[in-house]
Amino acid sequence: MNKIMYLEFERCIGCRACQAACRECGDHDAKERNYVEYVDFMESRQTYPMLCMQCKDPACARVCPANAIQITEEGVVLSAMEEKCIGCRNCTFGCPFGIPKFDFEENKMYKCDMCYDRSKHDIAPMCASVCPSDAIRFIDYDEMMQLRRKRTQMNLVEGKKPQEGNKWEYVPEFFGVYSD
Amino acid sequence: MSDFVAKKGVKNLQHKDEKLITTHCCYCGMQCGMHIRVHKRTGEVRGVEPRYDWPVTMGKMCPKGVTAYQTIEHEDRIKKPLIKKNGKFVEASWKEALDVIEKNYKGLQSEYGKDALSVFGGVSMTNEKCYLVGKYARVALGTRYIDYNGRFCMSSAAGGFIRTFGVDRGSTLPWPELEHSDCFFMAGSNTAECHPTSIQWFWKAKDKGAKMIVVDPRETPTARVADVHLDLKPGTDSALANGMMHILVKEGYVDEAYVQERCNNYEQLIEQVAQFTPEYTAEKTGISVEKILKAAHIFGRSKRSVVMFARGVEQQSKGVDNVALYSSMSLLKGHIGKFASGVATFTGQGNGQGGREHGQKSDLLPGYRKLTDPEAVKYISSVWGIDPEEMPKPGVSAYEMFDEIQKGNIRAMHVICSNPAVSAPNTEYIWDGFKKLDFLVVSDFFLSETAEYADVVLPATSWAEDEGTTTNIEGRVIRIRKVREPYGDSKTDWEIMSEIAKRMGKGKYFDYKNVSEIFEEFRIATKGGKADYYGVTYDKIDEQDGVFWPCPSEDHPGTPTMFKERFATEDGKANLAIVDWREPGEIPTEDYPHILTTGRVVYHYLTGNQTRRVDFLMEQCPMPYVEMHPELASQYNFQNGDFCKLTTRRSSMTVEVKLTKAIREDTVFIPYHWGKELSVNQLTNPCLDPISRMPEFKVCAVKIQKVAKYEMPSPI
Repeated sequence: MNKIMYLEFERCIGCRACQAACRECGDHDAKERNYVEYVDFMESRQTYPMLCMQCKDPACARVCPANAIQITEEGVVLSAMEEKCIGCRNCTFGCPFGIPKFDFEENKMYKCDMCYDRSKHDIAPMCASVCPSDAIRFIDYDEMMQLRRKRTQMNLVEGKKPQEGNKWEYVPEFFGVYSD
Repeated sequence: MSDFVAKKGVKNLQHKDEKLITTHCCYCGMQCGMHIRVHKRTGEVRGVEPRYDWPVTMGKMCPKGVTAYQTIEHEDRIKKPLIKKNGKFVEASWKEALDVIEKNYKGLQSEYGKDALSVFGGVSMTNEKCYLVGKYARVALGTRYIDYNGRFCMSSAAGGFIRTFGVDRGSTLPWPELEHSDCFFMAGSNTAECHPTSIQWFWKAKDKGAKMIVVDPRETPTARVADVHLDLKPGTDSALANGMMHILVKEGYVDEAYVQERCNNYEQLIEQVAQFTPEYTAEKTGISVEKILKAAHIFGRSKRSVVMFARGVEQQSKGVDNVALYSSMSLLKGHIGKFASGVATFTGQGNGQGGREHGQKSDLLPGYRKLTDPEAVKYISSVWGIDPEEMPKPGVSAYEMFDEIQKGNIRAMHVICSNPAVSAPNTEYIWDGFKKLDFLVVSDFFLSETAEYADVVLPATSWAEDEGTTTNIEGRVIRIRKVREPYGDSKTDWEIMSEIAKRMGKGKYFDYKNVSEIFEEFRIATKGGKADYYGVTYDKIDEQDGVFWPCPSEDHPGTPTMFKERFATEDGKANLAIVDWREPGEIPTEDYPHILTTGRVVYHYLTGNQTRRVDFLMEQCPMPYVEMHPELASQYNFQNGDFCKLTTRRSSMTVEVKLTKAIREDTVFIPYHWGKELSVNQLTNPCLDPISRMPEFKVCAVKIQKVAKYEMPSPI
């Protein structure tokens, strides 16, 4: 796999199809592992999808005392292995993005695994497959770089200039797994 | 583990022991392509898999589409016919239920005449079923009273298109062409929530520099990403369209050659729009002059524009005028009949297009033939094998059928695939009508609010248990495939209608063994009509990824782009709309000082009869609410989560307040997917459009009051 999940927050229409689709992934036990939030409902309808960043050096795995969070050879950070997980919930506290969740009834942790049974075969994860507005895309590295360049160009065309303190407005929000 | 199947080079995940059945979503007019996962041995429906090779949606689905399969084997499904005894439903056999229907139908017709019966159809069904509903009413029951829920949905678009172009096809261009357009003018459509899988096309176009103008009193998720958001006062679309045309004419954006060659009424139009200066338009619509000018300049400079609209402009007492006026904007630019340009309306219901073409309307016969045309009556009579004299005369529109109930002219009704107890305006009047009926039959697969009034409820199959064709938002005829065997004792609607026809002594006209036989008859019935499906075959649909009507012969490929050479009017020219400004049916007064408008949320479909039973969708939006601007809320001291009582001239209801600046200060909004006390249609205005007979759902005058504490009733 040499693909990444590319997010464009502005495109999110808040439909939560990604959440509904996440439940449909075979191994997800009908629980969504991604989230959609309003920036500020009072002000605007702007929403944004929140997915696991699949960090290269994931805090959730680092803080796991039982070494239950595995990282695949492609770099996908999986949910805690049931047989190893001791239910301490360190991962839920450790993740700066609030991605891992803990199911108290089942006594197990669950998190986005990029629909590993799909993505390892280069099939888009369910959320990216269905996202009606292309806010979540499963694309390769070159396409991502192209999109970044295009975004920068468009910012210039529209007269937006990056300034100190707001650089994140002009950096496309992307993350995901890609091998070096 | 998993293995894969590949079709047209696109991989799909296929789970062990499962097969993928290729079909389309049951909900809106997008008719998104999808695969349903079915267990090979047990036939159990397991889930859904995106269908990447469908050219309109390419695997995209909204949350309703993703969860649509969950209704197929839902525990609330009606398994057996239900007969009401002492006010309660008891399960019965088909024979018992049909006996009761036969006895009542025959009894009422012998006492009050054939027109004592009526049929209320729907358009969430296949073309074959919609066609059969018209035949069932006119041949099996012999009644003139038939109409359908499209009257609350698409009839104004139909009226506007017929007036302007001579034919009613919802979109003049195929959807994938949208990618190449450079301007979208969208009026009264919250596409992001109502037809989410369209949005990808707009983004693709925007990536290439296209501009988007959205007309809506709310800053919807669609309006949020617009280049210009025209936040008009509800019900003032005709002023805005005239104002836009004023600027197009005045600033020389009109394609004079195109207009001279292909349009009528240009001189009158110039005269008509003269008074609609930007200042006058701004006064009427409440939009700033700057925004109107900016929108007109973007639209005027566009090379390939698409004018789109939906219920926001159609569900008004002047919906036909609005559609004709917005279509005329596109005509002035000469953008109809060309690549990546044109006019489109977003179809609300799954088969909103096909369902309105084939004889469910009170005045129409299959193929968009008029019941008042003796030649049309003669032709359809010959297809059906009846005497033209037997063909009933035109009846009345959906809402007006309830007037006939009040007058005692309609004594019984068969509601098929529809839920007017929630979807009609002024619902208290509708509920009263149902109570007054001598006999009500409802065919549905869940016990809807309408079914609760029924004497007999017949368990119909869901979309996944039958096959046939539907016509999507583009006018593309597509195939729906059978996913599983009928649930419980349910039967398909065509089987139910055929059974009742037999009981009424008309069995020979309904002797079908399968859907294909209905389709073959339906093709012949539409032949030569304005909506000509004669050349559409199941095989051709599969080969071509759908067939666009009109398709008049078997060697014809269909018509993706409409009006390339001529319009469907008598002289081949389009009619520019000459319509003056007029107020909506109700305007704010001292007693009712604000405007109420209604609409959808992305999580629910129409009356919510299906989506309110899906856990994921209910978790996202369990209850209706009223959206209110903080400025308006402060006048009444409302906080988020307070309860608000809204009263119109018809009724009142109480809902929770949701504060947001994304709405006009003079307007409040309530979504309409709930029934009984939670139905906003208790409040809406049944003032009808003079041509389409569409009620004015989108504008009425309302009074708001704070309520100390309120116990919300159950939403299911």
